[in-house]
Amino acid sequence: MNSIILSYITFVYFVSFLLYLLMMVMGKEFFGRLATVVTIVGLLGQSFAMVLRWIESYDLGIGHAPLSNLYESLIFFAWTAVFLYLLIEWRTKNRSLGAFATPLAFLAMAYASYSPSINSRIQPLVPALKSNWLIAHVLTCFFGYAAFGLACALSVMYFLKKREKPDGSNVFIRIIPESSILDDLSYQMVVIGFLLLTLGIITGSVWAHSAWGSYWSWDPKETWSLITWFIYAAVLHSRMVRGWKGNKLAFLCIIGFSCVLFTYFGVNFLAGLHSYGKM
Amino acid sequence: MSSSRNGNKQNVLWNLFTSVKLTLGLLIVLAATSIFGTVIPQQEGAMELARQLSPGLVRILSSLQLFDMYHSLWFRLIIGILTLNLIICSLDRFPSAWKRFRSVPKLDRSKPLDHVPPQRSWSTTGKREEVLSLLAGVLRTRYKRVYQKETDNEVVLYAEKGRFSHLGVYLVHLSVLIILVGSIVGSLFGFEAYVNIPEGETVNTVRLRKSQVSRTLPFAVRCDRFSVEFYDNGAPREYRSDLAFVRDGKAALQGVLLVNHPITFGGITFYQASYGSLPGNKARIAIRREGDPTPVVRDVEIEKPYDLPGGGGQFMVFETRADFMRMGPAVQLAIKPPKGQEVHFWVFKDADLIKERFPGIFERFPKLNPKAYKPYSFSLESIEVKYYTGLQVSRDPGVPLVWTGFFLIMIGLFVTFFTSHRSIWVHMAKTKHGLNIRVAGRANKNPVGLERELDHLTSKIKGKVEKKETA
Repeated sequence: MNSIILSYITFVYFVSFLLYLLMMVMGKEFFGRLATVVTIVGLLGQSFAMVLRWIESYDLGIGHAPLSNLYESLIFFAWTAVFLYLLIEWRTKNRSLGAFATPLAFLAMAYASYSPSINSRIQPLVPALKSNWLIAHVLTCFFGYAAFGLACALSVMYFLKKREKPDGSNVFIRIIPESSILDDLSYQMVVIGFLLLTLGIITGSVWAHSAWGSYWSWDPKETWSLITWFIYAAVLHSRMVRGWKGNKLAFLCIIGFSCVLFTYFGVNFLAGLHSYGKM
Repeated sequence: MSSSRNGNKQNVLWNLFTSVKLTLGLLIVLAATSIFGTVIPQQEGAMELARQLSPGLVRILSSLQLFDMYHSLWFRLIIGILTLNLIICSLDRFPSAWKRFRSVPKLDRSKPLDHVPPQRSWSTTGKREEVLSLLAGVLRTRYKRVYQKETDNEVVLYAEKGRFSHLGVYLVHLSVLIILVGSIVGSLFGFEAYVNIPEGETVNTVRLRKSQVSRTLPFAVRCDRFSVEFYDNGAPREYRSDLAFVRDGKAALQGVLLVNHPITFGGITFYQASYGSLPGNKARIAIRREGDPTPVVRDVEIEKPYDLPGGGGQFMVFETRADFMRMGPAVQLAIKPPKGQEVHFWVFKDADLIKERFPGIFERFPKLNPKAYKPYSFSLESIEVKYYTGLQVSRDPGVPLVWTGFFLIMIGLFVTFFTSHRSIWVHMAKTKHGLNIRVAGRANKNPVGLERELDHLTSKIKGKVEKKETA
């Protein structure tokens, strides 16, 4: 039941993506406002479906938070991306990021719901996953991933804005905020992401220590999360100490998010301890 | 930067290690090289790969220590240089941050008040003392430290918060060092080992993971029982070992070991890591004497003689195998006839299947023939299966340090990114039109947040002052 609702939510996010795009192309505020409403409805619907999934898992006698496999993590990633985006929209009163952020959510949901290799059934927890650290670990990691995703979207917008002609003839680009604002916002997203990734690695490490007796074992997923951490540590140092801005920073944000994606999906092709993420 | 260092060479080195460019370079190099170890199987996994590759390639990879790269000299060297870089950068910058942390507030600075935007500068007709106490009141409710300096015509109120924000980044760096020290302590004074204990057995040695050397524990561990539960869909639900820790012949501690619930005894921690099955010491054997309508079923124990039905001698199971010659569970029987030589042969559990796959096999090999001792035919109904539990055994005295580092790094990051040292000046001066009030501020980070705070403060003060005016 919950997975049927979730597969419909995919379309809701697709519609809000189209509406944000329409706003950008036509330059009409009306579509933007409609897009916000549709996105909020989508988020509420998704939250409802996730709670429903949680309850259903208890009805099956294998109750656990819906954060335990690839399907559930993709759904949660979409949720966090939309949630963070709406927060930014509310704080900055600018909707142009919507056209770049909703695709993240929509693609994650579509992959989760329609890929034949992903099982949307509620599965019981294997012994290693039965831990109070599960929720803390997945929550922090995926909020971090979503923040990095938005930083990447903002960086893409930054490069688009850079190509703006002085006459401002392209409505699409004109609506994108000033590049300095984009730069600042993406930096803030990196800060939030970095903090949460650090917390995610820490919770994972404490968990690994109680499950396997070693807080760090250089398993591919652990290593890739550390690689990601190194990249964003470089981003923060370059910004805070060297004052790097603009192109270089935007470029690093995109590299960083590709590392995140590899940590998330690519690692599934390598052997390791994190095989739950494949199911 | 410290320019007082003597010696050109030292200066060059010092300058190199104080540079954040080096940090950036090292972080990128560390990120890039770490990828190798995720693509090339490490340690145990490497052996498998090495068999498939050409010897030349294996030699190159192993001389670069790529089969255990995270413990290789060169990888540790990069981490070492980065650590040195982190220490020297921090030492180089810390004194100035400490100075800013300890600085005496400068009330008579006029610069911040030079370009106050119009919305934060206004006049009031209130009385000086009354307005001043209002201003001080508003500031005191919001800031812990409020200073005041009066001259004939002007009053400056100065308030601040978040001085510690200058130190956040050093706390982060210190935490990284603590974590690294913790990991070194762990690898020097700790160990990681494993042991398999069959149910009912006691061990006091474990095998070290790295060197495969066995290590004797100061106590013994007995596994009373191992069990595995499954969900309906076949996925494992719980692995459970009932352990007893034995010291001087007495069980000093008994406990249930589950995944995610380790047990610590005598400073050494045990984790449920794996399991497996072994053939046990009991089997159920069906014996049929030619001409009898039904076989006789016997539960037997290994290496104990039993009488054959009908008095044809004695039989004994003297070996059990979970999988013999890839033909499934089997036992080896020894039969002692009343006269003559002992007869030995194997009896399989899946005899019917084997007959189908290899017709005539039993007839051809007397050692495998269940009818090798006439006039009896034997069949194996079941072998008792005994589990063994696989335990990870480790002692890591560095863990408390690592945990401390984890805790401090979060505090440090929070202070670094979400706090700022804000200084607020509220200036009041006598003019021809009454009193002029100006609000200004400075912050070491987050200028947007400062503006918001100044706006908020201004409106609060304005509200109070106006209320007083109308009253």
